[in-house]
Amino acid sequence: MKKTSPPKTAPQGIWSGTISFSLVAIPVRLVRALAPGLIAFRLLHDKDYSPLERKMFCPEDEAIVPPEEITKGYEIAPGRHIMISDEELESVSPERSRTIEISEFIDLNEVAPIYYERPYYLVPLKGGEKAYRLLALALQKTNKAGIAKFVLDERGYLALIKNRDGALELNTLHYSDEIIPGKDRKKAGFTEKEKDRLKKIIKEMTADFAPEKYSDRRRQAFLDLIKKKIGKKAAVEAPEIEDEEAEEGMADLMAALQESMRKMRKADEQKKHKHQ
Amino acid sequence: MAQTLWIGNIHFKTTNVPVKLLTAVSQNRIQLHLFHKTDGIKLRQQMICAYEKTPVSSDQQLKGFRVGERSYIPISPEELAQTEPKPSRTIAVHEFVKTDAIDPVFMGQTYRLEPAAPGKVYGLLAAALKETGRQGLCTWTMRKRAHLGALRSDGKSLNLIVLRFADEIIRAKSLGLESFSISEKELNIAGELIGKLTVPFQPEKYTDEHQKKLRALIGKKARGEKIRLSKPKHLTATVPSKLLEVLEESLQKAAA
Amino acid sequence: MNKKNISINDRELSLSNPEKILYPAYGFTKVRILEYYSRVARFILPHLKDRALTLKRYPQGVDQEYFFEKRCPAHRPNWVKTAALPYGKDKKIAYCLANNLETLIWLENLASIELHVPLARAASYRTPDAVVFDLDPGDGADILDCARVALILKELLARQHLLSWVKTSGRKGLHVFVPLNSKGTSFENTKSFSRAVAETMQNKYPDLVTARMDKKYRRNKVFINWSQNDASKTMVCAYSLRAEEKPYVSCPLKWPELEKLLKLKKPDKFQVLAAEAVKRVGKDGDLFREVLTKKQRLPNV
Repeated sequence: MKKTSPPKTAPQGIWSGTISFSLVAIPVRLVRALAPGLIAFRLLHDKDYSPLERKMFCPEDEAIVPPEEITKGYEIAPGRHIMISDEELESVSPERSRTIEISEFIDLNEVAPIYYERPYYLVPLKGGEKAYRLLALALQKTNKAGIAKFVLDERGYLALIKNRDGALELNTLHYSDEIIPGKDRKKAGFTEKEKDRLKKIIKEMTADFAPEKYSDRRRQAFLDLIKKKIGKKAAVEAPEIEDEEAEEGMADLMAALQESMRKMRKADEQKKHKHQ
Repeated sequence: MAQTLWIGNIHFKTTNVPVKLLTAVSQNRIQLHLFHKTDGIKLRQQMICAYEKTPVSSDQQLKGFRVGERSYIPISPEELAQTEPKPSRTIAVHEFVKTDAIDPVFMGQTYRLEPAAPGKVYGLLAAALKETGRQGLCTWTMRKRAHLGALRSDGKSLNLIVLRFADEIIRAKSLGLESFSISEKELNIAGELIGKLTVPFQPEKYTDEHQKKLRALIGKKARGEKIRLSKPKHLTATVPSKLLEVLEESLQKAAA
Repeated sequence: MNKKNISINDRELSLSNPEKILYPAYGFTKVRILEYYSRVARFILPHLKDRALTLKRYPQGVDQEYFFEKRCPAHRPNWVKTAALPYGKDKKIAYCLANNLETLIWLENLASIELHVPLARAASYRTPDAVVFDLDPGDGADILDCARVALILKELLARQHLLSWVKTSGRKGLHVFVPLNSKGTSFENTKSFSRAVAETMQNKYPDLVTARMDKKYRRNKVFINWSQNDASKTMVCAYSLRAEEKPYVSCPLKWPELEKLLKLKKPDKFQVLAAEAVKRVGKDGDLFREVLTKKQRLPNV
């Protein structure tokens, strides 16, 4: 059965380890909380309309490089770099490479929006489901969030862990020394009357926050535009692509089975021969 | 050092406030690149044709809108240009919501706004927003992309936070988490424990020690020194049947 | 592609979800696990033969829920051999016997990543074929400490004219096997022998060894779990995969190799990944072969 490149199924996770608060430890995996919007275009090869994939490429060998042959490195001078293995990276802050230890909790209201960087979800691993749920519920009940530091790849993150609908959401935060302070400002010369007038307008224009309104609007505008511009155009067919990895896997298995059966048969024959 | 990225004009009803957008966050992080283990060559990200498995240069690339499993409607660069929002310098405020109405999960980059012209309108808007406890929901087009944002004030200065669209956020429901029953007692102890470990939020306390240590590692490697590997710390997962016990122990420890 | 029909020794098998990723951090799919077991089949089958299997199944992958299965699944093909053995006090259940390649592959299709076997064969389930010293490092101790203990143990056993073989557990510890392969052996014999040895070592090396199961005695020490010498207990089979983050194998090591690894002081180097295990058996064959054949007698305890 042939098919095109399969879409990635459920996120496999970017990081896995244990999250803890006091003596309670919960095995978890970090997964994304953001997905690209629904209005994306796909890049295609103009020759055959085959979809393009982003891969790591070695310009010298002129070939795609498989993940086992990739390592991280740092450029200490143009053209001069040193390679750093994953084990070395994990050794930099070993107490934070596989553990997120919540040492304190804070009130969510005290965190100014400017500190938020990127959201993720934590997903419990086997055996941790109950403790995970407890932490989520307790955070929900108290309206607090946990603060911890952890390391992912080469970066040390400051993280805030809160409840979202029964799940644990992890937000990476900016360090305060990364925030450029605002300028000091003199008082502007406006009158009370002017201010009151503006306040009235603001109140009149107040509504509830309905985020779907904007994303629906955006998607609809996009679809309308697409239909208008290309509604009459015919769609093109991309060529069938064998799921190479899957084919390879089965081929390797068949080869392994054939070899094993052959060798075992040979060994049996030799044994029979010995006894004769 | 804050840089001016863009200049625009906040507009709603009869209010017009010319502003400059500046970066509010400056990150100076060690950047690692990917290399080929076998020959030490720096790797590049390339668009590879899924069918031919060869790299495809940008002049051979085409954008397409997916309409079926293998069906696409190709879009020419001219047509693409027509789907782009018209360039404009207006930051259009459509409505206002309460200051705490937007969940931080929607909040992306923060830009600081500086007045782009002399006058009192900037300060007026900042004061009015703060005193009404509101933030403005606005849209604007920057670098050919349409953005949604929240206009906020601290009383004297204005900030603009880029908001993520609702369909970009993965719902917790999609994680497929099982609902576990937690006893009242466990929940109460956990709540008490959290209370005991709660402190005021003081972001200045937290520094990036990891960055310093990474720099030290890089320095050592550059000098050819041997790196002593340390195994990452592992914690033993709390056994579910012992959860209550461990919570009580934790509470005792926190009370001490 | 969700199913694939294959034929092994004229028996038909339907492989389900071969592309399912069972080791998510490593990207190992089910088909890769099947490939591994296929490649080591002729080395692992003799150690599985006629032994009532306990399956440790991970249908959703190594980091998700797993379950132990002793009763051979009812939906098995008719060519899968079983043995009826006691289960608990009054029951008897049918255990799977992985006596051939097709059964092994059928089992692995069920994501039975770890295969655990008793020390006795099904037909003579009260007669252990070997004594096992299960070396388990407590909190604060590691495989290097287990290696130290294993080497001392080897000497101690040698003085009693007993040869021993060692393998990694594939997780944190080591297993030392003393083959007996003698009809008259009972679990009472092997248990009291192993207990005596464990307690002797505990007395002689109190800072390194403990023979007591209680967690509070095991800190920073290697626990010699002599109670594993029991008809109801199982050990992970030689060459079985472990459901760790990476596909590590419970792999036999040569004694000189163990000494060298200990001198290197690198615990990670003890662990053998699936691909490496395949290379090893290709080169050295089954290092545990004699555990199945060597006849030895326990000294009168």
